[in-house]
Parts: sequence; structure tokens; C-alpha cells
Amino acid sequence: MEVKEKIRETIINLLKLKPQELKDNEKLCEGIGADSTELVELVIALEKAFGVKLSAKEITKFCSVDDIEKMIQSKLSDFSSQLSAKR
Amino acid sequence: MRPIAITGIGIVSPSGIGKRQFWANIKAGRSFIKSITRFDSGLYPSHIAGQIDDLDAYTHVSERLLKKMDAFSHMALISSEMALQDAGLDIQKEDPNLVGIFLGNAIGGWLYAETELRDLYREGREGVSPYMASAWFPAAPQGQVSIYYGIKGFSKTVVSDRASSLMALGYAGKTLGKDKLNLILAGGMEAPVTPYALLCCNTYGCLSKNNDNPQSAYRPFDKKRDGFVIGEGAGIVTLENIERAKARQANIQAVISGYGTTCDGKDRINPATDGKELARAIQMALDDAQVSPEKIDYISLDGMACDDWDLGEVSAIKQVFGDKAKTIPASCPKSMFGNLLGASGVVDVITTVLSMEHNLVPPTINLDEPANNGLNYIKKEAKEYKINKALVISRGRGGINSALVIEKGVR
Repeated sequence: MEVKEKIRETIINLLKLKPQELKDNEKLCEGIGADSTELVELVIALEKAFGVKLSAKEITKFCSVDDIEKMIQSKLSDFSSQLSAKR
Repeated sequence: MRPIAITGIGIVSPSGIGKRQFWANIKAGRSFIKSITRFDSGLYPSHIAGQIDDLDAYTHVSERLLKKMDAFSHMALISSEMALQDAGLDIQKEDPNLVGIFLGNAIGGWLYAETELRDLYREGREGVSPYMASAWFPAAPQGQVSIYYGIKGFSKTVVSDRASSLMALGYAGKTLGKDKLNLILAGGMEAPVTPYALLCCNTYGCLSKNNDNPQSAYRPFDKKRDGFVIGEGAGIVTLENIERAKARQANIQAVISGYGTTCDGKDRINPATDGKELARAIQMALDDAQVSPEKIDYISLDGMACDDWDLGEVSAIKQVFGDKAKTIPASCPKSMFGNLLGASGVVDVITTVLSMEHNLVPPTINLDEPANNGLNYIKKEAKEYKINKALVISRGRGGINSALVIEKGVR
């Protein structure tokens, strides 16, 4: 599954949304009205889904799905580079 | 106190959700006490309760919100919505700064708390829902209801064991009487049918162990009583000043006219058997209502079905009412659906308001032979009787006493 699809699926399942309610370029606090506790839950769920470390400072209510995708792609790529260097 | 109008009723109980279903079962004298099926409770000394299994069928709350709250908040939200509808109120048209919420609860939302504590010890801190902190504590329903409706006025959660919701009504009435608010959602909620909560109730030591006969287990004032049975649910009413209720042509279902409360100050669990402090609370409520004892024509009993509690309650009533105690119809309808602990007082008030409306006194079921004589117990079946002024008694662990006077119609 692509990174963006996995992020969407995580948010949709977590917040019990209909897929059409989640717009990729919309801030989480706007279209779906995510609150601070939901963001904490989202950070934990994304960490589990992608095996990367995230902080509540990185995933804020001003993030969109597109922003989160960029962030996770970057962490995944850093992780791959570190792994290659170790080898 | 300044009389306060009850203009809407919302009820979620083992005997029914919504006042029509609830009243139909109450007047029929049906018991809704059953063996607990939610979890394996077979090894608990008492494993019977008034349980609600069809809450989701009545919900108007989204799944997204539901996962953030315990069942007791869910029950409060459903009851609030019912009360507002019954009152014909559109809360969005109210000034939010002049709407308040006063609720009572004894133990908090333990199903949520237990589940998350289990996960904490199994999976570590990351296994715990971030909603845990805001879901379990006794004021959580007050928070959820106020957020749901955008309520911004003075609000309060009373934690006074089983007397909590009657106290919440009393304080709500006093606050309205000072013209601090226009409208208050008042009542209480409790969800004790969970493994840990049931364990705490069992260790408290006053629960019936008559597990083989759940429907006849809760026997207040009966010689064969062996304790009360817990139940879950919520009751919420809309309260308004009489002037405002009249101005908007609301259906004034009853009027709260007096409130009194005292403490026994004797023991951390048991009440004083002499009933002196309860008698003082009752007298305080009557004085507050400017109603003399002979004008009361129904008493809604607390009815713990334990020797000391029943003895003290009957003694207190005799001290206040004297010989008249023998003639005033008195009953404990919660014998049908269980003691809703912190929500028991408001549910008794709702039952009494419906009794006034239908001119029918609901019975204490399972009361075959009174252990404490001197009251006019309405037993087994409902009895036609016109109630104009009633007294509702609610008591909590350690000797917390509260009493409320309610009247049919405006004087």
C-alpha cells in the first residue's frame, strides 16, 4: 500500500470518517475538526503503522494528509539511508 | 426556596429508555433485575443487576465521539437530548452563558478506566487511549454534555455517593432561584455494571446475594431483605424559573419547591440508625418549601434494603410526620430496576413526577412483610392516588442525607 493510502486509512479508521470527508490538502483542524487528543492518538497510530518516531510537535492540527505524507516519506528515506550506511 | 419548574424529562434506565416506556414498566410493577451478562461475574458474591443492553439503538452520538467516552457519559447525552426534546427547547436558541448543567455521579466511568488500565499493564503507556484522562472521571459527562450543546454557564458535578443527583437538583434549583441562569440540565448518571465497579460494590457489603432469584432480590423494608441491587442508567431534567416557563408556555410537569441536606457524621460507611440527621434534612426541605408535613401525600423512599439503613429511614420519617406517617403512601420503585447509585435520586424524582401526572403510586415490589412498621407501604401493585406534594429521599454512604420536595403544578 502506498504511503498516502496508508495514512488516509489510519486517519479514517481512527476518526471513524467516510473516505470522502478527508481531503488530502486540507488542514486536519479544518475539514475534519481534529482536536488535540485525536492528534495524540494519530501520532501513536502512525508510529505503529510506519515504524517511525513522530512527535506531537510534528503532527499538528495545521498539517494535511499531504504534509504528513512528506514527513513520513522523509523519515522512511532517512531510515533507509542509515540502514545502507550501516551495511 | 423559589419554586423551580421541571419542564422536560430524559430517562435511560433498565426499566426503559424514554419516559413512556419507563412509566409503562413502572406502573406494571415489572422487575428488570437479571443476572449480569456483560462479563463473567459468577464468582462475585452478588452478580445480579439492572443492566441496559440496547443503548446504541437510542443514540444520536457519532462513533467518533463515542470512542472518547464511557457509557455513563453516553447515557447522559441520550438523557439530555430526550429532556430537551420533551421540554420543546432548542438549546441553540438559548444564550449559552445562561445555560448550566448540574449532574451527580458516585463512581465515575469504570468500564473505560478498567479497560485502559488493563492495557497499561499489558502494553505499557502507549497502549493507553489518550481519552482515558477525560473519559473516566465523575465530571466527564458534565464536560461531554456541555461541549455537545455549547453550554457555557455556571455548571457543577456533585459527587456525594448515592445522594449525588438529588443534591445536583437541589443546587441547580438554588442557582436558578438566584437568577444566575435561564436553564439548567440537571440530574445524574451511573454505570456500575463493570468488573471493578461491581467488585467495589460487593466489598461495600450491602448488596443482595439472592442471585438465584434476581427479580425478587431487591426487597426494601421486607423482613427477608438481604441488601440492594445495583443498576445503571441516567436521568436528566430541564429546570427553568416558573416565570420563564410560563412565558414560553412550557409544560410545567412539576415544581421543585424545597431542598435539605445534612450529614450523620458517624461512620465512614453506615448511617446513624436513629435517623435524626435524616429527619433534620427532611424538615429542612419542608421548611424550604413552606410545606407542613401533613400536606405531603407521597414519600419516595431511599430503600437500601439493609437493616440499619431502612431502620434509620423509617425512624426519620416518623420523627417528622408523627402519626401521619402511617397514612402517607410511601414506596421504593427502584426495587424494580436497581439502585442507580449517584443517579438514583433524580430517577426517583422522575418517577414521582410521572406518578403525579398519572395519579398512580408505583409500588415497592417484593415487599411481602414489612420489617419496619409504621409507614403506609404501597406494595406489589401500583395504587391510584392523587399526589399534589411529594417528598423524595436520597442517601449516601457514610450518612449523607438529602431530601427534595416536589409539587404538581404552580401554587
